[in-house]
Amino acid sequence: MNYWKKISSIIPTYVVILLIVIVLSPVIYTQGQQVLQNTCPVRGGTLVIIYWGEPKSWNPDSQVDDALNGINPSIFNRLVALDYAYNVIPDLAESWSMDPNATEFVFHLRRNVTWHDGTPFTCRDVKWTFEAIRKFKGIAYSNLKMSSLQEVVCVDDYTVRFIYNESFPAFISFLAWYGTWILPEHIYNKTEYSDWMDPSIPALQRPIGTGPFKFVEYVKGSHIVLEANENYFKGRPCVDRVVYKIVPDPTSAEQTFLAGEGDVLQNPPPISDIPLLNKTPGIIVKTLPTLSRYYIGFNMLKPLFQDYNFRLAIALSIDRDELNQKAYNGYAFPATTAWLPGMAAWWNPNATLPQYNPEKAKQILDELGFKVGPDGYRSLPNGTPLELRLLVFQGSTSEAIGQVLKEQLRRIGLKVSLEVYEIATWETKVVKNRDFDIALCDGFHGPDPHNMYMRYASFAYINFANYSNPEFDRLVVEGSRTADPNLRRELYFKAQEIFASDLVYIPLLDLPAFFIYREGWNNMPWDLIGMEPINSWLRAWFGKSLTTTVTTSQTTPTTPSPTTQSMTPATQTTSPQTTIAVSPTSTPVSPGLNMTIIGFAVGILVLVVLIAVFFVVKRGRK
Amino acid sequence: MKTYILNRIIGSFFVILSVLVINFLIVNLAPGNPVVFMGGETGLVSKEYMDYMMKKWGLDKPIYERLIIYMYNVLRGDLGVSYRYLEPVSKLILERIPTTLMITVPSIILGFLIGTLLATLSAYRAGTFLDSLLTTLSMIFYSVPLFWLGIVLINIFSVNLKLLPATGMISAQLIGKTGSLEYYLDILKHAVLPITTLTLGIFPAYFRLTKSVVMDQLTEDYVLTLEAIGLPRFKILYKHVLRNALLPAITLLGLQLGFAFAGAAIIENVFAWPGIGGLMLNAISARDYPLIMGIFLFVTSMVVVANIVVDLVYGYLDPRIRKG
Repeated sequence: MNYWKKISSIIPTYVVILLIVIVLSPVIYTQGQQVLQNTCPVRGGTLVIIYWGEPKSWNPDSQVDDALNGINPSIFNRLVALDYAYNVIPDLAESWSMDPNATEFVFHLRRNVTWHDGTPFTCRDVKWTFEAIRKFKGIAYSNLKMSSLQEVVCVDDYTVRFIYNESFPAFISFLAWYGTWILPEHIYNKTEYSDWMDPSIPALQRPIGTGPFKFVEYVKGSHIVLEANENYFKGRPCVDRVVYKIVPDPTSAEQTFLAGEGDVLQNPPPISDIPLLNKTPGIIVKTLPTLSRYYIGFNMLKPLFQDYNFRLAIALSIDRDELNQKAYNGYAFPATTAWLPGMAAWWNPNATLPQYNPEKAKQILDELGFKVGPDGYRSLPNGTPLELRLLVFQGSTSEAIGQVLKEQLRRIGLKVSLEVYEIATWETKVVKNRDFDIALCDGFHGPDPHNMYMRYASFAYINFANYSNPEFDRLVVEGSRTADPNLRRELYFKAQEIFASDLVYIPLLDLPAFFIYREGWNNMPWDLIGMEPINSWLRAWFGKSLTTTVTTSQTTPTTPSPTTQSMTPATQTTSPQTTIAVSPTSTPVSPGLNMTIIGFAVGILVLVVLIAVFFVVKRGRK
Repeated sequence: MKTYILNRIIGSFFVILSVLVINFLIVNLAPGNPVVFMGGETGLVSKEYMDYMMKKWGLDKPIYERLIIYMYNVLRGDLGVSYRYLEPVSKLILERIPTTLMITVPSIILGFLIGTLLATLSAYRAGTFLDSLLTTLSMIFYSVPLFWLGIVLINIFSVNLKLLPATGMISAQLIGKTGSLEYYLDILKHAVLPITTLTLGIFPAYFRLTKSVVMDQLTEDYVLTLEAIGLPRFKILYKHVLRNALLPAITLLGLQLGFAFAGAAIIENVFAWPGIGGLMLNAISARDYPLIMGIFLFVTSMVVVANIVVDLVYGYLDPRIRKG
């Protein structure tokens, strides 16, 4: 029966895709796939996520809000989404296509989607969302080149067309990334609201989305509770509730996780604790590469750094393996190429950076006339002492990288003063005032190679080093206009080679992501590459995993039994999934009698103290 | 006495006013602009977005103009709307007061009690093993960073002994069950570790303060007299000596009650306790100007009020102050 359901639900999609291909024959780059309906071997229970931060607001498109962004996939959907390998996968759009000029994009929306309040989701919501991003300068405004967006057209209720003034092949990648969550038009679009952050909009207190979970409760500074959306278009989530327990301090978050008060640790612990967590029984640690990297940039406004050989000498002095070991416990990936291997389709393996060679670095500096003084440090060719200011922002990793860099430059005789600033000050000094010699930066280099344009082109806002190479600029501009993936790849490959040979920015480490969770949880989003977006808990279920049940008899149900389905979240934690559970999710603190006594004792103590103080004060008068 | 109170209150008004201006200037002149902060990762901020937000929040106006607007609003009782939470600042602060007081007040009182009682004992047994043990302990707790102590306590009592919950205010499985006895007991259990940590951090101050005074008092003639009368040692110590030695400790208690509103920021952060401290740290890191200024203003007002109360209690206890 299940098979029939699946097949029958697949057929219309294929027919639609086929029709699109036939009807819009000039459209060449079509994508899309059928998403499997959710099946849960075990249902019920609560997924407790120990979470690092508080959302700033409940409008997911209005501002950069990394804390909310991690919660968004539970409540909201986008047209397309990214999975943990940074592939674009379908979300509210089941298929999409792009014309050969990359100026027109057509998305075919799912038909069985409703908002959490029961209102059907249609193209109107999509159109309003993107018009609002344009009007209220949403955070995706510049990513999506809103100033070039001519029009969003609803062809019918379930087909939306974006028309751009210029070619924008990166559009779909960025649409899958940040600040593009579809908002309910029927709630936001009212004349009495001044804009989409008007405090009287009810959805800013109780968000309404189309996502797998519905909002239940948010206690600021404490927790966020979501419950399963029975009508989710991919099927109901396996768990009944998701609780985000907010623990801002990484060390106490880790301790909380170790104490058994959560299932997933989403407040990254200090890197030095990862091996310990990995060894702890009942805890699983997985890593995946990300598109974030640490890099340094030289201040090209200073004549010193305009000398290519000086930059080369510094580049040669950097030992990335040592950086990785000392600052990241060896978990990161030394960045040896101009672009990130994590973005496999756009990565040019030949655009390599100079390898560690301190002897050659010293030789170059000698040739340039930087003589070593009696203190072991070099001075400028004209004899004035040289001290380079390396600016890093606060954070254990970035400070550690700064320290190691300082030491590595000392080894070739360059004196470095390390300046650590809080991120806002760093940003003012480095990006705004260009008041630095070398600056350490980290950043997300995805979701599309167009990031080169946004980050390193001469006109990019965060091009703090003032990197300016007309050929590089030309290539990344060209790349931002070319629809043909093969041509685009060629352009970006060339750009990477130029970037690697110019040495204005020196990539250091590509960072991994850590997934730390309790044994017994299955179908976590990082295991479902190609299927589920980042941070989607739709398919997560707790119980003995299917791969291990092969050896056991068929008593382990592969389909949910009625008893496990009807479990309430409260009983789940005290009696976890009866026969199938391997370990309890959240080991509850037993509400024993001794605790009651302690509680009372505290209360009584306080009372006694108050009385005592009262008497002391009263008698003092005599 | 009335002029005394009046003078103190008028003086406090000017203290608060100048604090208001200084707060405003410090917060607004600090590097980092809230708009850039809303941008978070710099790559995402567009010029259009920054201009739009600057205008929306009135940050495009010159600083003196903003100061005047802010002071006018504060005098009308309006602390503004948080950039981040989109809610009135006064509401955000009021929400968090009970949770913060729930851990700070018991720990200050416990710290006071433990500190003074142990100090008396230690002074009486000066030079013995007990004395050096207590003094060493209080020195250790005095110098240990509290956030570290908190983590160690979590590790011992939650991770290893599994006796108490580690962080937060309520267990995930009890969320939403307000009204049941279990729910309130759970909150109490969550409060035990933060209170313990704070108490351990607070008591050494009272201990050190009281111990020296008690030792002075023990050399006084009246102690000898009382001993001669044949009063039991215990009674002399706790009924007569301690009472005389308590005045400085009470001063400290009064001052600390003023800080009770915001003094536990780090502990709240470690224990993920949703109090004012956490709110303040978040507001600072997000450059939420109205909220930062609101919290600072509130905390200073509380410290000022506590100071007045301490002064009044002093006047009440000591006729020299009252009449002088």
